[in-house]
Amino acid sequence: MIVAERKPFEEIKEMLKGYKKVLSVGCGTCVAVCLTGGEKEVAVLNAELDMARKLEEDPIELGAATIERQCDREYLEVLDEMVKPYEALLSMACGAGIQFLAERYPDKPVLPAVDTTFIGVNQDVGWYEERCRSCSACVLAWTGGICPVTMCAKGLYNGPCGGTDQGKCEISQDQPCAWFEIYGRLAGQDRLDLIKRFYAIVPWKNQKPRTLIQPGYKKPEQAK
Amino acid sequence: MRLDYPTNIKIIRVPCTGKVDVMHLLRAIQKGADGVYAVGCLEGNCHYNEGNLRARERVDHVRILLEEIGLEADRVRMYNLSSGEGPTFAAYAKEMTDNIRELGPNPLKKWAKTH
Amino acid sequence: MNINLITNSEVTDVEGDPGNFSVKMVNYPRYIDPVKCTGCGECAIHCPVTAVNQYNKGLDDRRATYIEYAQAVPLAFAIDTETCVGCGLCENMCIAKAITYDDKERETTVKVGSVILSAGSQGYDPSNLDILGYGNYAYVVTSEEFERILSASGPYFGHLMRPLDREEPKSIAWLQCVGSRDTNQCGNGYCSSVCCTYAVKEAMVAKEHAHGGDLDCAIFNMDMRTFGKDYEKYYLRAKDKDGVRFIKARVHTVTEVPESGDIVVHYVDEAGDIKEEIFGMAVLSVGLQITDSSADLAKRLGIELNQYNFVKSNPFSPVVTSRPGIYTCGVLQSPKDIPGAVTEASAAACLAGTELAEARGTDIPTVDIPEEIDVSKEEPRIGVFVCNCGINIGGIVDVTSVQEYAAKLPYVVYADQNLFTCSQDTQDIIKERIIEHKLNRLVVASCSPKTHEQMFMETLEACGINKYLFEMANIRNQDSWIHSKDPDAATEKAKDLVRMSVARAAYLRPLKEKIVPINKQALVIGGGIAGMNAALSLDKQGFDVVLVEKEAQLGGFARKLHHTIEGEDVQANLEKIIEQVEASARISVLTAANIVGFEGFKGNFSTNIEVGPEKELQTVKHGVIIVATGAKEYAPTEFLYQEQDNVITQVELSDRLAEKGAADFNNVVMIQCVGSRNDDNVECSRICCQSAVKNALHIKKLNPDTQVFVLYRDIRTYGLLEDYYTEARKQGVVFIRFNRETPPTVSSASDGALLVTVKDHILQRDIEITSDLVVLSAGVEAEDTEALCGVMKLNRNPEGFFIEAHVKLRPVDMPGDGIFLCGTAHGPKLISETIAQAQAAASRATTFLAKSEIKLSAITAKVDVDTCVKCLTCVRCCPFEVPSFNEEEKVIEINEAICHGCGVCACVCPRQTIQLSYYEDDQIMSKIDSLLVEGM
Repeated sequence: MIVAERKPFEEIKEMLKGYKKVLSVGCGTCVAVCLTGGEKEVAVLNAELDMARKLEEDPIELGAATIERQCDREYLEVLDEMVKPYEALLSMACGAGIQFLAERYPDKPVLPAVDTTFIGVNQDVGWYEERCRSCSACVLAWTGGICPVTMCAKGLYNGPCGGTDQGKCEISQDQPCAWFEIYGRLAGQDRLDLIKRFYAIVPWKNQKPRTLIQPGYKKPEQAK
Repeated sequence: MRLDYPTNIKIIRVPCTGKVDVMHLLRAIQKGADGVYAVGCLEGNCHYNEGNLRARERVDHVRILLEEIGLEADRVRMYNLSSGEGPTFAAYAKEMTDNIRELGPNPLKKWAKTH
Repeated sequence: MNINLITNSEVTDVEGDPGNFSVKMVNYPRYIDPVKCTGCGECAIHCPVTAVNQYNKGLDDRRATYIEYAQAVPLAFAIDTETCVGCGLCENMCIAKAITYDDKERETTVKVGSVILSAGSQGYDPSNLDILGYGNYAYVVTSEEFERILSASGPYFGHLMRPLDREEPKSIAWLQCVGSRDTNQCGNGYCSSVCCTYAVKEAMVAKEHAHGGDLDCAIFNMDMRTFGKDYEKYYLRAKDKDGVRFIKARVHTVTEVPESGDIVVHYVDEAGDIKEEIFGMAVLSVGLQITDSSADLAKRLGIELNQYNFVKSNPFSPVVTSRPGIYTCGVLQSPKDIPGAVTEASAAACLAGTELAEARGTDIPTVDIPEEIDVSKEEPRIGVFVCNCGINIGGIVDVTSVQEYAAKLPYVVYADQNLFTCSQDTQDIIKERIIEHKLNRLVVASCSPKTHEQMFMETLEACGINKYLFEMANIRNQDSWIHSKDPDAATEKAKDLVRMSVARAAYLRPLKEKIVPINKQALVIGGGIAGMNAALSLDKQGFDVVLVEKEAQLGGFARKLHHTIEGEDVQANLEKIIEQVEASARISVLTAANIVGFEGFKGNFSTNIEVGPEKELQTVKHGVIIVATGAKEYAPTEFLYQEQDNVITQVELSDRLAEKGAADFNNVVMIQCVGSRNDDNVECSRICCQSAVKNALHIKKLNPDTQVFVLYRDIRTYGLLEDYYTEARKQGVVFIRFNRETPPTVSSASDGALLVTVKDHILQRDIEITSDLVVLSAGVEAEDTEALCGVMKLNRNPEGFFIEAHVKLRPVDMPGDGIFLCGTAHGPKLISETIAQAQAAASRATTFLAKSEIKLSAITAKVDVDTCVKCLTCVRCCPFEVPSFNEEEKVIEINEAICHGCGVCACVCPRQTIQLSYYEDDQIMSKIDSLLVEGM
């Protein structure tokens, strides 16, 4: 899932300076699961903002709405009427959701209340770890299910650098060396030969926004 | 035991401090309470195993939130005692009241009145 | 409900036979009618006479009109006519008209089927032990007095101080074995079993209460006997972390420093040197003593006692007395701690109930409840009843103004005040008003819901209103009682509390208590002494049992034992038990059986069992579970056990003595605490000291010329076992103490003998013993229950023993409802203790099985699956692992049958889709908002 982190309160407050009526919009999927932007967090943030602005003798009127997902048009629809009286929208969704919200209501300032952090796994309640950089060139089949792009500090595709230190990465003793791990995993599966594969330099595709259309589906304009 | 403690304390009953939500504590301050505190069982003695430990974490969380907002963290506290400790309850009630008196009234109170 | 409590009375005689006893008793006058008394305490407040407060051990005073302590049951006052001057003030003050000066001593008789004698004990009175200075020196107190000093409800409100100068002591000495293990001065040869652990506790609590944190605590002991479950860990924490000093000495003289009153403790240390040390206070750890009146009572009832006046019992029937139909439990049976006493109490109840099984449930009154009216669609119509509680509330709070205030609150359609809202006639008035004003919510502003909520809920039910549409404002305990000095503020606070309650009442929703049927069959896991006794007890109560044993035959670890220390033949008794089990029509035994699947909840379990070598799968439906998986003897790796044939364990020694006797032994050395009280297993194994003493005595009986040496750290022959330790010393068994840091060593000598070296603490040098045989007192290890726990999700402690729901109050219940625990699966214990616990587990199981259905609490968490995002936060946070992902329905579900209602899940849900019924967010928020609406 997508993991996000709430922005520092000061930063959010700064963004909202001057606005008197703001709707906080939560997102009920990824950011709710990582305890950042569901109903609960919207309520907490609104309470905080309400109090902070009152303390500054500059009260703000806050609305709250948490929808299923801000990255789906159909779910956004319920907001169409609701947003009207508000000067600005404060989104607690990931970067995609925030932008989709902004796209739908182009005349409203849409402000981010969270920093989208990574695609990761849930190790335990409130504990998330990055596992994927969405690079569009997955090599997990050949690396024992361990991603060298995400797990190696340098994103190396062809074995460790000189900084590997007793199985740890030179950047930190808490960070395992991805290639050390890959070696161990492949050795355990008796697939060590795979490690000898050579990967050409990857033409990174994340320089322009990527689009995905599943087989059997088309963009509406193509369908016409 | 009829031990005297300040009249300004009103108790809201919950089955366990594990049911005390961040939102409940925030709401009290938001609505103008000068202070709010959770009173749970002694640590390690929670009837529901760990509710009081969770409450402590939440109280700590709310204390951070209050500081972010610009209010004193000490308006929110957590106390632990066993049900047989009436005098301790009264002592904590007094301690919390003294603490709040030192902090002064909640500046949000005037907004609550105009509500 | 079905307990008739008769206090302030004494049994004079019991006539008749089991099933039909007639119990004669004297009911002493109380002078206050407990039925009318509301416990308000006005009588005591106005009583002008001071009397010594025996509850606080004479350390403070009370009135002549009094109640012993705030939690007393019944919560009713009494008049102590020894001190009462008959002034009549209390009668004038009592609004409930409960004072009855003309109350008289009466004689009554009750008819019962069984009798349980649990007269308990008192702390030993050390007044006659003049060497300890009790009664002469102000700062020598008994441990009972010290308990009261430390208590928050005690004479000094929990402040640690000396009785006379009220100064905090800088150092305290505890003197162990006062009135115990002492045939010389007081004739109590037994060990009181509890004093070592309570002394450790008192020292730890005293350290907590002391200011500055440098209180010096020293416990003078002969042996530290912290043999109970987890007690050794507690002892080590006191010793190693909290710095409590433990000194191996029996104090011979106590004197006083005249000016300061400080206490001088004179003793002889381990090396034999004469020492003295000055303390601010000395606490005498007094033992448990059966009172003369208890002994007289037992004798009147024809019950045989032993030389110390404990009830005579057999290890295989620990709570049975010499008179049929009369059972015993607690310290009257033998010295024991609270968990042991509570366990035995259940065991005695089990046996007492056996005789009454046929008549079960026939004497319980039933109440008809009218059908519930659906008010969920109606606007709230709230009725408020404000209680004066005599003058308890009305004397401080302006009740009329509170009533008038309440009448104006939103949704309130009726408000009234009563003298006593809890009285029976007021209930009738409330019922009338509910019907008259079509009330659908009830708010009572009076006292604590803890004591009175149930009663008002029943009043609602009687009117066809859901009982959860009830709310209580505690304007007595939380207001008038504590703010009596400021009536105006108290009145304002009462209004606040009523306003909050009314606000919440409007948000209350009717709740259904789900009713589930109970399967009347029990599953007992483990066919040893514990499991078989539990099964037999349930059989006698009239319930079917499936007894599962993983081995091919019944018997468990007891198959390896020969006789108990008392001389009972274990195998003969075991055979008898097995025969009874096999003959029982209600018990089906599954041997060579393994539990492989499990589901369900209290009253409705379903377990899959693979039976026999063919692993034939059986599914058993049952309502309760009794876990009795047992334990085994630790297999030592120490002291050449695995290399030398003449290094054996105590269990192996019993076999050897039974087979070949002891004629060929010149010297035998026993080493204690092998596999116990070390880094791998911190706990004490409880039974090994008595095993060593038992076998040492057996050797001496077989061959008095054999020299037996027992190398020990602390001899823990607790309770009546102490007599056997004394006997062993009399017979010449040599006991040599060693320290954990300097354990003995064993090496092989010439001609197959063994050389044991140990440091003697008196000589302060190593001594060598050439021995024919070294016997290791190997500890007790839990059976491997890894797989079982995986299937049934049962909790074990780090040592692998199962965890009880509450160490003291629910010692045989497991945390999961409907699951009980007994025998060595719970922790090391003797056969007698195992049997008592098995009967206790059966008794607790019977409380379940006796009902045909159970009502589940309605206060449980509920998930709104429509908004639930299945994030698993609740699943991971629940302390009881209740929420789960339903693979079939693809939703998160919370099984209300096992939900404990703590509300943790509701507070962590990021989508706010979980609500705890009766404590829903709007119900709590409404209280906060209404409290603060007036800008408090």
